Amino acid sequence: MKKIKFIFAFSLVSLLALTSCDPGDDPDVPPDPGTITDPSPDDSVFDKFNGELERNVTIKIVENDTAIKMGYLDELLDAFNEEYAEYGITAVDANQGEFADLPNSGPYGYGPDVIYQANDVLMGWVQDKHVTPLPTHLIEAYESDVIPTAAEEAYKAVANNVNYTFGVPLNIQAPLLYYRKDLLPSDWQTNWDDDNNGVPDMVENLVDLYEFSKMYHAEDSTKYGFEFSLNDFYFSSGYLFSYGAYLFGDNNRDDEDIGLHAGDAKLGVQVLRQFAAEMSAACIDDSAKLAISGAMASGKYFASVTTPDVRSVIVDTLATTYQSEKGLSAEEATQLADENVVGVPFPDLPANGDLINPSDEMIECKQMGGINGYAMSSYTKYPNASLAFINFATSYKMVKLREEILQIAPVRSDVAEESDELSQQLFEKISNGSIVLMPSIKAINQVWTPAGSFMGDVAADPNRGANAKYDTLDKIQAALEQLSQDIYDAIHLLD
Amino acid sequence: MNDVLVHKGMNRKVKRVLGAVGIYCILLVVCAIFLFPCLWLILSSFSSTGSLYDVPGFFPESYSFDAFIKLFTDTSNYNYPKWLLNTLVIAVFNCIFSTMLIIGTAYVISYFQFKSRRGLMKSALVLSMFPSFMGMTVIYILMTQFNFVNNIWGLVLIYSCTAPLGYLVQKGFFDTIPQSIYEAAKIDGATNARIFTTITLPLAKPIIVYTALTSFAWPWSDFILPKLLLIEKDNWTVAVGLMQLGQNEFARFAAGSVFIAIPIVVLYFFLVKYMVNGMTSGAVKG
Repeated sequence: MKKIKFIFAFSLVSLLALTSCDPGDDPDVPPDPGTITDPSPDDSVFDKFNGELERNVTIKIVENDTAIKMGYLDELLDAFNEEYAEYGITAVDANQGEFADLPNSGPYGYGPDVIYQANDVLMGWVQDKHVTPLPTHLIEAYESDVIPTAAEEAYKAVANNVNYTFGVPLNIQAPLLYYRKDLLPSDWQTNWDDDNNGVPDMVENLVDLYEFSKMYHAEDSTKYGFEFSLNDFYFSSGYLFSYGAYLFGDNNRDDEDIGLHAGDAKLGVQVLRQFAAEMSAACIDDSAKLAISGAMASGKYFASVTTPDVRSVIVDTLATTYQSEKGLSAEEATQLADENVVGVPFPDLPANGDLINPSDEMIECKQMGGINGYAMSSYTKYPNASLAFINFATSYKMVKLREEILQIAPVRSDVAEESDELSQQLFEKISNGSIVLMPSIKAINQVWTPAGSFMGDVAADPNRGANAKYDTLDKIQAALEQLSQDIYDAIHLLD
Repeated sequence: MNDVLVHKGMNRKVKRVLGAVGIYCILLVVCAIFLFPCLWLILSSFSSTGSLYDVPGFFPESYSFDAFIKLFTDTSNYNYPKWLLNTLVIAVFNCIFSTMLIIGTAYVISYFQFKSRRGLMKSALVLSMFPSFMGMTVIYILMTQFNFVNNIWGLVLIYSCTAPLGYLVQKGFFDTIPQSIYEAAKIDGATNARIFTTITLPLAKPIIVYTALTSFAWPWSDFILPKLLLIEKDNWTVAVGLMQLGQNEFARFAAGSVFIAIPIVVLYFFLVKYMVNGMTSGAVKG
């Protein structure tokens, strides 16, 4: 009897050990190169998408707060419910906030069926299988070939050497430089538009913005021409990428290769350090980011960096200021504020990375961005109805409506080519790689804190005088190498 | 001799006055320390701009009621009236159920002598020493089995069921009621139920008010349990909802915090007399 018990226990332990060692299902495990294939439509993973719509069901949708506030979600749900009324399918707001906790609520049956989020969030759930691979051959946006490759790649992950797609890209989310048009100098068209293209030079290149900032601050010492939270790596990483840095190797998939010190990344840090000398202490931490609406409304900042969803807050605050200062009605004030808060891509940078003695040659400033899109919960009981919703919500008609209501940059090329200039610029940047997409692997979570601390330290450096830590390019390079090593150690500490 | 006595008396008086002035000064400083954050929050709730960083010092730059108006009108993402209603429902029902259960438990333990009484008391004492968050995972899994996740009645159930463990103060109060009253009632032929309803409860008014008030106040401001169990926004309580407000919504957060404090402050002012009686009677054994 003892022998039987021993054999049974031994078999059980061996089985458990073998199961836990199987790396096959882990999408983060680098696969054997050269053997990765695209999934076949007959892949068993797609068996649940049999084309038969579940009838008389309710599917729960998570959308972002702005889409709810601006009324887009209601329009989308009404249109979908009308289209699928004959099947009894009803889509409703999951009512869980835009940061719905799928990993915790999903397994117990309380999560949403379809979720809208940025690619880094959605793809962060792939490894633990909270979102399900999608059959791209059944999705109109993919079949119509209107999704840029870079956006498509943001939603791909490899499991069992198959390159599955886990989401449908919808719009580009990238930080922009926002400025107050009404605070431009009255002579900007003659003195600040060298190329006569109708766009002020100070929002086209950082050298002129640097000069303008000094002038703006000299006129009133409480005001700053350009100020943003340098410690927010989502905002500041683009300056490093512009000079050759990257986050992870192999197109942001290989967390063994950290490249924040690569190329001439040190020049990007030098540019930021030089500009930080013309900013207030608010650039060291989140203060500038959190104060942006009030500071821009009061004219304390001429320009700053933030994400497009914050623009409406700036406009609202500026409208309130106009009402009290200019005596305008609420409607007039809002209209004027809307005209005067202008968003543009990051200004170009001097190729030599020196704002004080800049080169004539300029380079495009890269920026980190994300692709927001829809993914499907692995726990949904209605995969076909959910797929129908994703197809409907990413159709030309709905993406166009979304762009009109929310003023966001669409990913679909057929909508983007009819959009405004800014949306087209962002689409172009996504297509040519000037917007570096947030990596879709879990290791990105280990980047924000050390990189943010480093950039905050750089922002504080101009005030250290003789004790400066980053006053030479060699010191910056050494610090960047240490930063890359720290991030590597954080990711692989428990390997 | 008289001069010396007068001088000593004067000295004592001066010392007493100086002592009193010193104590009042300390009390004023302590009050200011406690009052400062509350006052700052109240002033911030009237800030015309929303962001925390638009309050440059102690006073906002400009004042308005906008935050309070938005709190009740702009409900597309943050449905404060619904959160307030949920909080009120949970607090009221918990107040009713918990008060009944705590008073019942305390009375039984105090009045009746039965075999496992001491064992029960010791068990309750030991169980109440474990912090409530220890059982969070278990509670969540149990609630999923009863389909009580995302359901405000699940919260009422948990609050009410765990409330009797805190019966000790109430038992202390019942211990102070003289046994002779009960004995007289028994001689007159009163049943246990009659004794409880016509003798004990009227005498226990202060401790009932105290129990009701604390049972109301606990879920009114609790955050951890509602955050764990309430998933959908329309089921959130005020404490959970306020935590989800955006970074630029500080004035609305402050307005929501001020508004949620009003009912509980009013209740305390009206019932403080009973509370003090209840606490002191329960704490001191006769």
